[in-house]
Amino acid sequence: MRKILIFLSALMLCCSMVLGQEENTTFENANSAYNAGQFEKAVMLYKEILESGQQSAELYFNLANSYYRLNQVAESIFYFEKAKLLKPKDEDININSAFAQNMAIDAVEVLPKSQMTQWKEKIIDLLSQEGWAYFTVLLAWLLALFWGLYLWNKVPLVKRTFFVSTVVLGLLLMGSLAITFVKASNAADTTFGILFNNKIEVWAEPNKRAEVLFLLHEGTKVQMLDELQEWQKIRIANGSEGWIKDGKVRSLKGFK
Amino acid sequence: MKKIGKVLLMMKTFITILLLMMGFVQTMAQEVSFEAKVSKRSLGLNERLRVDFIMNENGDDFTPPPFKGFRVVGGPNQSISNSWVNGKRSFSKTYTYFLTPIQKGALTITQAKINIDGEIYKTTPQRITVTEAVEVPRDPNSPEYLIDDNLHLVTKISNNRPYLNEAITVVYKLYFRNPLRISDGRVVENPQFADFWSHNINIPQLKVENGTYKGEQYNVVVWKKSVLYPQKTGKLSLEPLSLSLVIDLPSNRRDFFGNRILQQSSRTVTAGRRTIKVKPLPEKGKPANFFGAVGQFNFDALLNKNALKATESFEIKLKVTGKGNLKLFNLPELVLPNTLEVFEPEHTENVRTTMSGMQGSIEDNYTIVPRFQGKYPIAPVSFSYFDPKKQEYFTLRSSNQIVDVYGGPVATNSTDKNIPSTTKQLITNTDESFRFIKLTPNLEPIVKEEFWNSKRYYALLVLPLFLLVAFVLLMQRNRRISGDLEGSRLRLANRLSKKYLGEAKKNLKNKALFYDALERALYNYLKARLKIKTDDFSKDKITKFLGDRKLAQEEIQSFIALLENCEVARYSPATDAKMQQDFDQVLSVISNIEKKL
Repeated sequence: MRKILIFLSALMLCCSMVLGQEENTTFENANSAYNAGQFEKAVMLYKEILESGQQSAELYFNLANSYYRLNQVAESIFYFEKAKLLKPKDEDININSAFAQNMAIDAVEVLPKSQMTQWKEKIIDLLSQEGWAYFTVLLAWLLALFWGLYLWNKVPLVKRTFFVSTVVLGLLLMGSLAITFVKASNAADTTFGILFNNKIEVWAEPNKRAEVLFLLHEGTKVQMLDELQEWQKIRIANGSEGWIKDGKVRSLKGFK
Repeated sequence: MKKIGKVLLMMKTFITILLLMMGFVQTMAQEVSFEAKVSKRSLGLNERLRVDFIMNENGDDFTPPPFKGFRVVGGPNQSISNSWVNGKRSFSKTYTYFLTPIQKGALTITQAKINIDGEIYKTTPQRITVTEAVEVPRDPNSPEYLIDDNLHLVTKISNNRPYLNEAITVVYKLYFRNPLRISDGRVVENPQFADFWSHNINIPQLKVENGTYKGEQYNVVVWKKSVLYPQKTGKLSLEPLSLSLVIDLPSNRRDFFGNRILQQSSRTVTAGRRTIKVKPLPEKGKPANFFGAVGQFNFDALLNKNALKATESFEIKLKVTGKGNLKLFNLPELVLPNTLEVFEPEHTENVRTTMSGMQGSIEDNYTIVPRFQGKYPIAPVSFSYFDPKKQEYFTLRSSNQIVDVYGGPVATNSTDKNIPSTTKQLITNTDESFRFIKLTPNLEPIVKEEFWNSKRYYALLVLPLFLLVAFVLLMQRNRRISGDLEGSRLRLANRLSKKYLGEAKKNLKNKALFYDALERALYNYLKARLKIKTDDFSKDKITKFLGDRKLAQEEIQSFIALLENCEVARYSPATDAKMQQDFDQVLSVISNIEKKL
């Protein structure tokens, strides 16, 4: 029985390795197709990898580049944004994303942020969600350890040191727990998407009796706020809000 | 009557003489005719009608018809004419009646009879329509009547039911014929074409041409030509054109040389008010980007460069050519990426207006300066128009073009709120180029098990606290097992020694200092605990104070003994062991007192 189990697990491991191998080959094939100028083929191959359930910032970046070469603005921006979600600080991604943004019709002025918000965001974005999770666990363990040491130790000076560290660790833990939860709820509440409509009117209310506020074009990043029947409420980076009807907005939380 | 009779008598004698003179002339074999002629077929109730019964052979026994529905106001007058031309005789004898109708409707003048050479001839019945009374019974010989009959100002409209913005032409024509002649004319009132876009086509010189009006030959002058584009739907009326004309009419008088004297009369003629029904453009199939262009057009967007350096400029020309209301609509707007600097378009029109409407081209010329490098798509522009001939909408679309801009800074205009590091406009001055793709895949499954929010995460987060609690509980249990009393005393002593005996402990090596410190420590302790002032330190007082605090006599004694011992020991030889022993004793005594207090 055990032998069979071991065999099975070995087989599965083997399979997964082979599969991974296959995707890497596809990736290389796609890269050479891109380099040869066959962007449609490159797109097809990259998408094949995506469909097999694999992702990476690099994959999204390459896919976005291929779409850029094919002059498909919205697709290109969409995948650049996906790449940015995984690697927000990558220089290549940011530079090429700027090229794609140039190609889009709408250039939205980003709303200036207050110093406080900037700091807040800097702190929140210091670590990824997973990073914060691991960090809080680490802090919890350290806290328990130091507390224990404080209780166990009898030498006053050492005891005092441990006591202070315990208090500091406790505060840190509470802070980072708060940050982790805020970050998680932020991520859950805010959904960004890329607009795929060539041109769409943004209305003040979800009905045609209201006035048209402004026009948006393909490739604009919008925050999806609300929905009412076939209307969607959106917000763009400059803070303007409005409703669009039957908009083709592809959420960045999705994968296709 | 009498006069006519006289004339007739005279004529009769004249004819008889003639006949006598030319008796030899044979009567020619000739068909006999007898017919009735009416001056009008239709007349108003208050007008008069003249009826002639004409025969070409003399006859007798003329019986007029009963003229039912008419009243005879004059006649019968008889006239005979007899002439020979080139040996050919023509004869006519006419009975004339003037009638006025006494009832409306279709009346018939029945047959008249005459006996010519023994045979009875009859005229054909004549149908007359009698209408309502006319305002002014027209006298056919008056100049008014002549002008009315022979001069017409007519408005000709090319299309009475045009579409909105479809060109129609309005031509004002003046018809006139002999005997009228027009010697002068001027416009009294030019029509104002409200609700129309109008263009007057210049007529350099008025020309008289031949034309027909209601099937009769006339002279025609085209007075005014206009092209109109209706700007409103529904019934629109065209204001009439009024002309003041000076008309020459021949009068009955003749001058010395026998020519007729012309009579001048001035007259204002007005073309009737005309109504045009303008149809709205069909709603069905109306494109969203339809801005009112009606006609036949061609549309193109022309780009003068496809690749250029940043900060150079290029031009895009939107051009519409064709036939239609070119001046009356705007060209579609060009949609460009906002990062391009676009100047106001320059609008040029090259339109001629002819009788068939406006023709030519209009164009919008955009000058664009890209500041950053990259590819800029020029979105296709679509232009829609309505063709009134085919009654259909057409949409023309320019091709999709891309302008490639090289050699300039890259603009990063991130609209991303999540990533504060790139929210500021990042404009690098170096010629940043488009980066190549990445070559390492670093693939990972999309659906990953996340540590955050998993059970494992919470377990790991809470586990250390449980461990800590367990640890504390364990420690307490250990302490209970290892004797609580001893332990707590020890801890108390530790605390006290730390507080009061620190100095003494430091001086365990130096006997004099040690005992001095020890004694001071005892005093200090009392001072702190019993709140005694330093001056009052006598043994009696200490005993009394401690006694007040309900300490056992034994303990007070041991405290006093300690104080005395300190004093003695300072000057007596003592070993280190003795000092340590004394120190411990002080500690235990203080601990004991502390517990009681």
